[in-house]
Amino acid sequence: MNVVTRKLIAKELYINRWFIAGGALSGVASILIAATGKMGFNIGALTWLTTIIATGVMLGLYGVMNERKEHALQFVLSLPLSIAEYVQAKMLGLIACFLVMWLVSSAAALVLVFAKDSIPDGIAPYTVLLCVFMLANFVAVLCGALHARSEAITSAVIVITNMGVSIFMFTVGPLPGIQEHMWAAAPVWSSTFWIVLGCELAALVIFFTLPFLLAARRRDFL
Amino acid sequence: MNDKHIEMRGVRKVYRFFSLDDVSLELEPGQIMGFVGPNGAGKSTTLRLAMGMIAPDAGEIRVLGHEIPRQQAVAKRDIGFVSAEMRLLPHATLGWHMDFMRSIYPEWDGSYAATLVKRFNLRTEQNARSLSLGEHVKATLLLALARRPRLLILDEPTTGLDPVARHEVISEFMDVLRDDSRSILFSSHNTVDVERISDTLTFIDRGRIVDCANKEDFLERWRRIQVQLPPGAVLPDVPNIVKRETDGHFVTLTTNQFSEGLLKLIGPHVTHVQRMNLEEIFVTNVMYHREARGQ
Repeated sequence: MNVVTRKLIAKELYINRWFIAGGALSGVASILIAATGKMGFNIGALTWLTTIIATGVMLGLYGVMNERKEHALQFVLSLPLSIAEYVQAKMLGLIACFLVMWLVSSAAALVLVFAKDSIPDGIAPYTVLLCVFMLANFVAVLCGALHARSEAITSAVIVITNMGVSIFMFTVGPLPGIQEHMWAAAPVWSSTFWIVLGCELAALVIFFTLPFLLAARRRDFL
Repeated sequence: MNDKHIEMRGVRKVYRFFSLDDVSLELEPGQIMGFVGPNGAGKSTTLRLAMGMIAPDAGEIRVLGHEIPRQQAVAKRDIGFVSAEMRLLPHATLGWHMDFMRSIYPEWDGSYAATLVKRFNLRTEQNARSLSLGEHVKATLLLALARRPRLLILDEPTTGLDPVARHEVISEFMDVLRDDSRSILFSSHNTVDVERISDTLTFIDRGRIVDCANKEDFLERWRRIQVQLPPGAVLPDVPNIVKRETDGHFVTLTTNQFSEGLLKLIGPHVTHVQRMNLEEIFVTNVMYHREARGQ
């Protein structure tokens, strides 16, 4: 990785520092709300999900689309780097931004599961799957934003990935190997859990790799 | 071939509603080329091709000896690019941008950058989003100049600037030009700015290069010749006339190959020979080529 790519990754962390800090704080605050009781759990879980999704969308929109829309992309592309290095810097930089918030929020959620007696530890595998899904979901948004040339297509990608969270919750939650252990006193890392996790990681790898194979080889980036 | 700062040969780029066709141009070290064309002529497309931001469909581009777009990362180490459209990162200050550039370019000249901040009346703590158009152009120019590039590619940098800001920007280019090893490719549709700083001119229209020559050559070659014909007299067949306007006995001829021989050929009825400014030459040249191409 050359110095320009490294500087651009650092630039993403600097430019998006308030999104990252706000997202991480909101994620932790949501978990604190979730710890206050049944009603609090519902509200907290909802704001926690919203925080992770919204931070991902904001990073994708501001980090990729707005840079293009506000003509700052020309400035970045005038630096001594190739299109492939730009895509690399953008992917790694924005994923690093998201990871900070995601790690804090995910860790806070798992701490709540294991620390709060009223919440069964059996929900931990589902929480892990949901967290990894949202990470893959963000990488999909980023992949879409880097490929799309229009705001409309990026918006469509965002809508589809947002719907994906609901679809995930309604399809993975009721799976036999997941649902039956959800209220258990101890987490059960069933084969279903590992299969779903494997699928999520595969999707993550695909969405992470696609921009390097396609967007990075694009002949025209403006 | 490699000693030229820019070399384009037979470059073609096709879009749905516009195509750049068979563009060839050369920029020598120390040369300042004004790249003039009407809106939508293909100036920005050509400069973006030179920067590797877009790739040609055909033809060859070399910048500072490097093949573009394949070796653009190496070439861009020595290129300063400024465009009227270009914006800095909206959530960062000018000071942050200066630090960012310093961390990338080892040749960054901090004292020159500080001088330019003062000269352009910029504030380093100001957020890029809050900069006016003129301030934005000056800020991008500062970032391009303070890295001391061998080649400056400027895409309509004075567009939208007020006369004072334009004067400041042009004066800065003049300063840069004191270094003979540097070269500038400067696109504009404002011929006054181009005339001030360029030594070579290339005219582009509707995706094609229509003319390219030394500025002095253009100014020497182009003339408007007024002729008053007596009743019954006929103007002889005169070569190299690109435009002919007749109003009764008065005929105005525009030539792109003026010489004393031409005047002798026209005969004793010439009343006035007028030099043309660059804008007149540009407009006449473009219209002549459009007619020649049947457009």
